[in-house]
Amino acid sequence: MISFILIIITSLFFGGIIIRTKSITSGRKGPGIFQPIKDIIRLLKKGSVYSKTTSFIFQIAPSIYITSVIMAIMIIPFGGYKGIISFKGDFVFFAYVLGVGKFFNIISALDTGSSFEGMGASREALFSMFAEPAFFILMGSLTLLTGHTSFQQIFASLHFGSYISYILGVLATFVLVMITMVENSRMPIDDPTTHLELTMIHEVMILDNSGFDLGMILYATNLKFAMYGALIANLFMGTFPLYLTIPIFFGMQMLFAIAIGLLESFTARFRMNHNAQYILALSSVSLLIFLGVLLILGQFS
Amino acid sequence: MTESLFFISILLLVAGIISIPLLPHYLRARVNFIFVFLIAIASCVPAVKVLSGDCIDIITCKTNVFGNIIFHLDRLSSWFILIINLTCINGAFYGIGYMQPYHQQRSNLSMHWMLYLLFQSSMLWVCMAQNGLAFLIVWELMSLSSFLLVIFEHQNKSTLKAGINYLVQMHIGVLFLTTAFIWVYFSEGSFEFSSIKNFFSSHSNLGLFLLFFIGFGIKAEFIPLHSWLPQAHPAAPSHISGVMSGVIVKLGIYGIFRIVLLLRQDFTIIGEIVIVISVLTGLYGVLNAAVLRDYKRMLAYCTIENIGIIGIGIGLGLIGMGNGNMLLQILGFTAALLHTLNHSLFKSLLFFNAGFVHQQTQTTDMEKLGGLIHTMPQSAMLFLMGALAISGLPPFNGFVSEFLLYSSLITGINSIGNTYVILMVSSLTGLAIIGGISMLTFTKSFGTIFLGVPRTYFHQRPREAGWIMRLPQYFILAIMLSIGLLPQLYLSIVQGIVSSFTPSVTSINEVMPASLLGSISAIGKFTLLFILLLILIYFIRTRVTRSHPVSVDSTWRCGYTAPSPRMQYSGKSYSNSLGKLLSFVVIEKKKYKKIQVNEIFPAERKYSSNYNDFFMTRIFNRTVSQLLYFLDYFQFIQNGKIQSYILYGIFFIVLVFLGTIFNII
Repeated sequence: MISFILIIITSLFFGGIIIRTKSITSGRKGPGIFQPIKDIIRLLKKGSVYSKTTSFIFQIAPSIYITSVIMAIMIIPFGGYKGIISFKGDFVFFAYVLGVGKFFNIISALDTGSSFEGMGASREALFSMFAEPAFFILMGSLTLLTGHTSFQQIFASLHFGSYISYILGVLATFVLVMITMVENSRMPIDDPTTHLELTMIHEVMILDNSGFDLGMILYATNLKFAMYGALIANLFMGTFPLYLTIPIFFGMQMLFAIAIGLLESFTARFRMNHNAQYILALSSVSLLIFLGVLLILGQFS
Repeated sequence: MTESLFFISILLLVAGIISIPLLPHYLRARVNFIFVFLIAIASCVPAVKVLSGDCIDIITCKTNVFGNIIFHLDRLSSWFILIINLTCINGAFYGIGYMQPYHQQRSNLSMHWMLYLLFQSSMLWVCMAQNGLAFLIVWELMSLSSFLLVIFEHQNKSTLKAGINYLVQMHIGVLFLTTAFIWVYFSEGSFEFSSIKNFFSSHSNLGLFLLFFIGFGIKAEFIPLHSWLPQAHPAAPSHISGVMSGVIVKLGIYGIFRIVLLLRQDFTIIGEIVIVISVLTGLYGVLNAAVLRDYKRMLAYCTIENIGIIGIGIGLGLIGMGNGNMLLQILGFTAALLHTLNHSLFKSLLFFNAGFVHQQTQTTDMEKLGGLIHTMPQSAMLFLMGALAISGLPPFNGFVSEFLLYSSLITGINSIGNTYVILMVSSLTGLAIIGGISMLTFTKSFGTIFLGVPRTYFHQRPREAGWIMRLPQYFILAIMLSIGLLPQLYLSIVQGIVSSFTPSVTSINEVMPASLLGSISAIGKFTLLFILLLILIYFIRTRVTRSHPVSVDSTWRCGYTAPSPRMQYSGKSYSNSLGKLLSFVVIEKKKYKKIQVNEIFPAERKYSSNYNDFFMTRIFNRTVSQLLYFLDYFQFIQNGKIQSYILYGIFFIVLVFLGTIFNII
């Protein structure tokens, strides 16, 4: 429960911090950190324009998308505290529930019969497919390391003892950050600020959404950021008492948001046709973690 | 009681086969359904009884030559009998509507329905036969009747070709099975299945298992033995493809299961082989499904993928057996059996749906379709549900069995030593990739067939399916949802079956940690939560947006105002980047002429591209053509003269005669 509330709170300013960071690095003052959420609230009040090609899929997809993200957030634990949903193997449920949202997001893009949105949909399906193995290998290695199979138990018993495990922590953080970027279609994978439809992934899928639906989709993106941020924070929280973990949590989220802002300011987007390879390379980083775990467990001796 | 029910079902079959051609033609399909239903009841009653109790011997005939001919029901066969009957009833009901347009081919149709009855019964017998010889006979009956069902449209050349391909490949499979049974016969002197057990306890297990695995694997279509399926399914009428893909393929799995239960040693090496082949089968199947544009072939390849998923479960169970890890064994087999049921449900649903689309549009090329959701909203909805289920997404049944499989893989990672860790992690990765690609496949097919604007103009506007064709689909949907929401119920049934494999375990709860059982029921609970939350959010959305102004306009096209349906993103381009990345597996054949430099006014030109099956084009066709080249040298033997053919016969008889005299043979 506690992680759910904290993630909701974080989602209110997460996007704002990214934008603020980017503004500062490019020498502008930038909007306040609550500006994105204000934009979303404004969208929620607006009317909608629907394409005449679309069907009920287009109407229901954004709701399913945000529901799936909310369900996924419920699974995230908070240090030693369980999430609302917690059972053995819950990370499989986590990945697949997010999959439902993605499925509907993709078909709602195809529902418009547009030439651009299909392109975005195709890329989204392909890239998230390539990111999947990285996540599963990472989780598989963590279960091997800790002997547990639910998020909460894994994170609660994750201790960084030796040098190798520090490296593992760094690598795991890297993988999770990159998965976040893929899932949210951010900078090295996709450029959300580009002005050309042909070079977008996520933004082009929601070209035809407007009003309340668009607001929900944008908010779901913020939620997703905060969710992955919480996962990363969990790697480092352990079972400290609450008065320590809550500041750590917010600190990690801020750091994560600033890191994304910096990443977006100083890197260029990968070449689109090489993206798949880059994402697949992520799986090999996960494999490194797996080998590291084998090292720690002394399987090579 | 059971015995009499068995004979009643045979009587019903005979009565059905005799009465169908005598009836007026408009009643035949309905009467067929009634007979299918009655036979199903007669065979389900003992099956349900066995599932909750002990095994039943149905008939035992003592013969001197072949050993005892036994028909026997145990929990494994009961499970498959229930699946067969469920799918056959749905198929027969759907067939009433589907075969309506063919009502003029009266004799062909009555033949079709008679064969359908025989097909169902022969599959049921396959599950009961416990004697090698009897098994081969009913197995052959099943193959032949399904072959004749496939070539319903035999006037169509490609249908006939696909059918004959199926027939030949089935007999290659039978060849392996026969060899295996004869091997056992020579070593143990009996065709009974129990003698296979004796064989396994005294000989090396690997060789005989591989023979059986190839024989059954052709039916179950593990790669590289899969090539009959993508051809047979598009050719067959849709209710037949639904039943074939849903059930007949599963009988291959049944056979493998049957043999696995008889194994006595070498579990681990066999398990490793099965897992590796299965992961490759799954990846190969789904990859081909993703790029194909013929939606029936797409579904056929998707069946191959699911067989791979089932195979992973069997392999894990075997590794568990080999290492004495009860939990892994039970989890793996449970996942495999549950996925067998699940796949037969969603695959028949999808085939029924695709069959209707095919009937309305007369094309199996998804690039010619589009926008069907506006003309057939219910079918579209059903296809969408099937697509979600087959991609293994909650709230449907596919997720339950995939979750079980993930759990068993994780159990494998955690509890078995370092030898298997790499195998398990690569299977985990394979399963994740399979899930990802199948999502891509089904978003593509659903999007291209049902969404957007129609890509071609149909003179006869496609209509919504009649209730006869929709009802079985809704029925399947209800079962799928019930598995998704109450997985613990189905799990307890399947675990009853699996516990009969491991006599040493009296109750599953001894082995299965309570937390795992808890997480299975948690899935159902939280899936329900997901649905409720969705309803809540959608309700809020409709309440809030009720007062908002809504306008309808055309899709955003960068300001371009003269859109045409051809500008939509096509299915081919949707999966193109995946196909390009993995072009060494899915081989694309393009045919076009490049524009020459001196062509100032290029004329109309053609461009065609299709994907070829790697094994068929690269391996089988090459081998066959080499073989043909070699065999051409012996063509003089087949010279068309009757005299020489008689001479060959005499020559052969003399050879045998001489051989016996000199004690050579």
